[in-house]
Amino acid sequence: MAKLPQSIPELVARFGPHLNRTPSGGWTAIGEPDRLVKTHCCFCGQQCGIQLKVKDNRVVGFEPWEEFPFNRGKLCPKGVKRYLQDEHPDRLLSALERTEAGFVPVAYGKAMDRVARELTRVQEQYGRDAVAVLGGASFTNERAYLLGKFARVALRTANIDYNGRLCMVSAAAASKKIFGIDRSANPWSDIPKADVLLLAGSNLAECSPITTDYFWQARENGARIIVLDPRMTPIGRTADLFIPVRPGGDIGVFNGMLHVMIERGWIDRDFIAACTTGWDELERTVHNYPPERGAQIAGVPASMIVRAAEMWGPARTSFLLHARGIEHHSKGVENCMAAINLVAATGRIGREGCGYAMITGQGNGQGGREQGQKCDQLPGARDIENPAHRQYIAGVWGVPEASIPHKGLSAVPIFEAIRDGKIKALLSFCFNPAVSLPDGHFVRAALEQLKFYANVDFFMSETSRYADIVLPAALMEEDEGTTTNVEGRVIHHRKAVDPPGDAREDWKIVCDLAGRLGAGDRFPFQSSREIFDELRLASRGGVADYYGITWERIDREFGVFWPCPSEDHPGTPRLYEGHRFGHADGKAHFQPVDWRPAAEEPDVDFPIVLTTGRVVSQYLSGTQTRRIGGLVDQHPQPRCEMHPRLATELGVADGDFVRVESRRGSVTVRASVVRTIRPDTVFVPYHWPHDRSANNCTAHAIDPVSHIPEYKICAVRVTRVPAPTDALASLEPEAGGVR
Amino acid sequence: MSAERSDGSQLAFFIDYSRCIGCQACVQACEECDTHRGVSMIHLETIRRPDSVQTAPQVCMHCENPICAQVCPADAIKKTPDGVVQSSLKPRCIGCSNCVLACPFGVPKYDAHIDQMMKCDMCYDRTSTGRRPMCATVCPSQALAFTTREEIERTRQGTAVNVWRFGAEVVRTKVYVMMPAQGPAIHIDTIRKGGPAVAGPGREDVASLLDGL
Amino acid sequence: MSRVTEGRNPAVVSGSHVAHALFWGLLASALVIAGIVVGSRGFRDFDPALVSYAGATVFSAFGLGYRYAMWLRRPPTRLYWRRGWEIFLAPRRLPRHLFELGRLFVDSVVAQRFIEHRSRTRWIAHWFIAWGCLLAAAVTFPLSFGWVRFESAADSQAVYRAFVFGVHVFTFPLDSWLAPLVFNVLDIAAVMVLTGLFFAFYRRGRDRGALAVQQFASDMLPLALLFAVSITGLFLTASTHLLRGLQYGFLSQLHAVTVIFTLLYLPFGKFFHIFQRPAQMGVAFYRRAGAEGEQAACIRCGEPFGSRLHVDDLKRVETALGIRYELAGGGHYQDVCPGCRRRTLALAQDTAWRDAGGHNAETRRDG
Repeated sequence: MAKLPQSIPELVARFGPHLNRTPSGGWTAIGEPDRLVKTHCCFCGQQCGIQLKVKDNRVVGFEPWEEFPFNRGKLCPKGVKRYLQDEHPDRLLSALERTEAGFVPVAYGKAMDRVARELTRVQEQYGRDAVAVLGGASFTNERAYLLGKFARVALRTANIDYNGRLCMVSAAAASKKIFGIDRSANPWSDIPKADVLLLAGSNLAECSPITTDYFWQARENGARIIVLDPRMTPIGRTADLFIPVRPGGDIGVFNGMLHVMIERGWIDRDFIAACTTGWDELERTVHNYPPERGAQIAGVPASMIVRAAEMWGPARTSFLLHARGIEHHSKGVENCMAAINLVAATGRIGREGCGYAMITGQGNGQGGREQGQKCDQLPGARDIENPAHRQYIAGVWGVPEASIPHKGLSAVPIFEAIRDGKIKALLSFCFNPAVSLPDGHFVRAALEQLKFYANVDFFMSETSRYADIVLPAALMEEDEGTTTNVEGRVIHHRKAVDPPGDAREDWKIVCDLAGRLGAGDRFPFQSSREIFDELRLASRGGVADYYGITWERIDREFGVFWPCPSEDHPGTPRLYEGHRFGHADGKAHFQPVDWRPAAEEPDVDFPIVLTTGRVVSQYLSGTQTRRIGGLVDQHPQPRCEMHPRLATELGVADGDFVRVESRRGSVTVRASVVRTIRPDTVFVPYHWPHDRSANNCTAHAIDPVSHIPEYKICAVRVTRVPAPTDALASLEPEAGGVR
Repeated sequence: MSAERSDGSQLAFFIDYSRCIGCQACVQACEECDTHRGVSMIHLETIRRPDSVQTAPQVCMHCENPICAQVCPADAIKKTPDGVVQSSLKPRCIGCSNCVLACPFGVPKYDAHIDQMMKCDMCYDRTSTGRRPMCATVCPSQALAFTTREEIERTRQGTAVNVWRFGAEVVRTKVYVMMPAQGPAIHIDTIRKGGPAVAGPGREDVASLLDGL
Repeated sequence: MSRVTEGRNPAVVSGSHVAHALFWGLLASALVIAGIVVGSRGFRDFDPALVSYAGATVFSAFGLGYRYAMWLRRPPTRLYWRRGWEIFLAPRRLPRHLFELGRLFVDSVVAQRFIEHRSRTRWIAHWFIAWGCLLAAAVTFPLSFGWVRFESAADSQAVYRAFVFGVHVFTFPLDSWLAPLVFNVLDIAAVMVLTGLFFAFYRRGRDRGALAVQQFASDMLPLALLFAVSITGLFLTASTHLLRGLQYGFLSQLHAVTVIFTLLYLPFGKFFHIFQRPAQMGVAFYRRAGAEGEQAACIRCGEPFGSRLHVDDLKRVETALGIRYELAGGGHYQDVCPGCRRRTLALAQDTAWRDAGGHNAETRRDG
């Protein structure tokens, strides 16, 4: 049983989150740093280049890296302040074991012995699949590859998945279905070359700020911008057409646009005939979506849909970008496909200024899903159920094909299986599901069911508190490896400093554990470069082919775009040139999509839509960013945004406390009464824990194809309440309190 | 001008308020600069949050004849030969806040803790050695840009303007603002109670799109 | 750093201002001379060996008087000066102000805590330098003016008598604890100054921020002068006690040169802040008087942003300086708070772009 060993305030007092405000050594400008380490920001899929200042083996600051072509020195506030996590007082410096009296430090070797013993015991008693492994999309490619191999070779469990399941999978599945490859089709340098930009479901300015300059550069070049969002975002504010779509209504806009485009002849019939399949069925489907019907679904005037079609349809060049706003739905894949249909129907793909991209959210959202830590994939974005793919990987790993488990459970079903007692033990890295998974009460109750839970993290996250053993991990700047950015550009994270205390690199922990589980001969790695070399081989011939990419090439060329099948191959910044698509027939496959409602639509009891998202100064579950003073100051606590019309109905004034309550749980936060959100929708950002966790309300409904949870819609009621005064509310805001 | 590129072209500071996304990267990066470590000098203004998400950064404009210096009783505000108006001289500043109230751009900040006025000095430690200021280097939207005039004219619409009129007072600045190609000066001559919320007179603001749903 | 033009037309300013300042400079010199004459009882107590120091002080007094008068002619300074005294001397509040002055003096002058908040190293450096210099000044000026003198008692070479303005104040034996203190007070001052200089040079040599903005003439030269004065002074002591008077004459001339140069530099460089800085205490009273009175509300947002006293005074200063903030649309730009100024700038630019149908055209409600 893994109930919390101490009260939350006691755990917070000991392990934080506390705030670090000043650089190591104070705000002094005395002396020069020993060196500047060129590496990348650990937050978000943009993976901006940054130089870390190192003095006496400590990270003491940063210097912009202006040569790196993606961001040219630009950084968002998270990038600016990320260096403050290194010398943080909350860092875990030794392994911890839970006891009746709370967590006690334990020797690293002893902790590892116990992890190996417990996992073996559970597998012997309940079967191999009774142990689940969870990884993270903030992992380097090397770590992601290693963890997938570890689960299949050392533990031989089918149940490995990762938190990228909460982020990118709808976009990935949609891209694969239509074009056959899961990757943004174009490099970011194509954005400023487009005549029209369509941004669907992305608060770009807060979630991927660096892309803003690409947008404005397009605008300077005369591009027109269309934005779909239920909230007025900074990009939406100055867009040429801001469509304040109802959450979940995007298909109404996309299908309606295509309907108008077909009517007016703004589609590329030659391209459709030569390079695509499935058009007739699509045409039949969108025939049923005249703008008036689309408008009804989308909750916006029909004229907006017509206007969008008029801007998008006849354009010479165009670029679609989509993100979680349309992906976090139980129809997330369908939403993305409806959007991508607009790209394929015009044939504006695979050339300069023409294409589309999914805006990756997590640090290695792209690479993290290619190396085989997904329950349904093997390295190189290979299919775990494809016999040829299995055979190839079995060869690389030196194991019998039959020993590789088949498709396992994805993240949310893993927690359902834990709740149902089918999964008994969990080993997790780089993942804070107690905050980040939907339906928080369900997730925390499941964690309490585990017979054994080992957690690897650099800070004590809200989830680590449920662990039997916590192993201290290294930060990105304490390890070396590669990630793959939003464009599909493979880049190099350099090590700046050594991990402190007993903390060590995840790959060392995994190799060590593999050895204790008797699979050491398959994990002989002495460095992450050796892992990368095996990854290259494992990905060879796959869709995400890294074979031709070396660390030296990455350094020399400011990153290399996959697929890159050989060392003399230049890499592939732009996919689909010459209209050669990723499917076996080389064609794009249109996917007709009909709109359907969300798993939970508002009703009489819960009449308001809650949608969730990010703020610019926080990252994911906040394990890192809720520990950095400047970032917490910027957004100390979540607020519930609501339109004044709704606020008046509810009798709520700006700054009042409100309880946002769904069938599953509630949050109590202050209200922000603003005219920048739809009157039928409220918004609460999700980075905070406990009674401030927006995911207490969300439903764990998932998309049938991608298994992404429906974070963007659930039904709630909102009531004005007095200021909460309980023990959790009295915590500091970064720990889940309110002010 | 000290901030000179290897090809001899001069770097200058350009603001385009309309690009700002309010992310505060500039605010966070400002305090990393060596001339004012731990204290952020830049302003990031939320124009009127209930109605809009519009925000705007304000750095020191580095006037040719700075009003802050003219109204300083202690003669504590000085300009470098390359035209950068510095924070008040520590030995002289008497903390009177004349500059804070008189600056037409609302730039200087009085810090009661150290009893001194401090302000944006264009990251003098950086610009005086050919590096770009912190805020303009990191700014994700490039609402703040530090580059050559040629580069700005090549990549941006409009023109870079550095002449302002506040009532009848004409102010020339070292920092430029991107304006549509029209009149030579930016004229501030009418201030109304409540101010314009977010849009020009007689125009509907973006939020009205949401009001109507 | 270049000077900022004061007022719109400096040529008009200069003539009468210079005459005015010359008067105050001469008056200051005259006062020092009168002080020397009277205090030394008609030169009876004056030590001719120190005449060059006294002479330099007279010149320095002229410079300080001139500079101070020029400074006070600047409209903002003049207004603050006048307003500061008015407020301070208001009879009803004078007792409280005197008490407050004492507190401010201890905090700002004696302890100099506001400098500690800027940087601890800077504070340590400044405190040692400031009090070393003040200690030295408290000894050397009275000595060189002939206000203080020492002589051995008529009946014993082992007893010293101290006179102030010719009046015998106390007697002390040479073997008492007081004697080495009295004779070495300048050495103690020199060590204090050198201690401060060590911290100052350390900071200025290594702090990247200081390195970026400091300039030799305004920041390093004053430190160099103090270093020269202190070290040559210590050489004199060393020569007397350790080296049997080796090169004493040369060293004493060298010391005199450094001191005289520093005295002459006093009105023109960084050291002028010693005389200017007490104005800071006047500001504290001005600010309090402002806070207790009516507040000025911004004509745009309606929020108070400063005292009415301050805003109105500033308008007077601006008028005197020729700054024309009167708005054609009515009102005065000085009545807009700094935040609303910043917002107005952004809105002006945004509106201009929209009017031009430019790159950030207003979202269309309908195509």
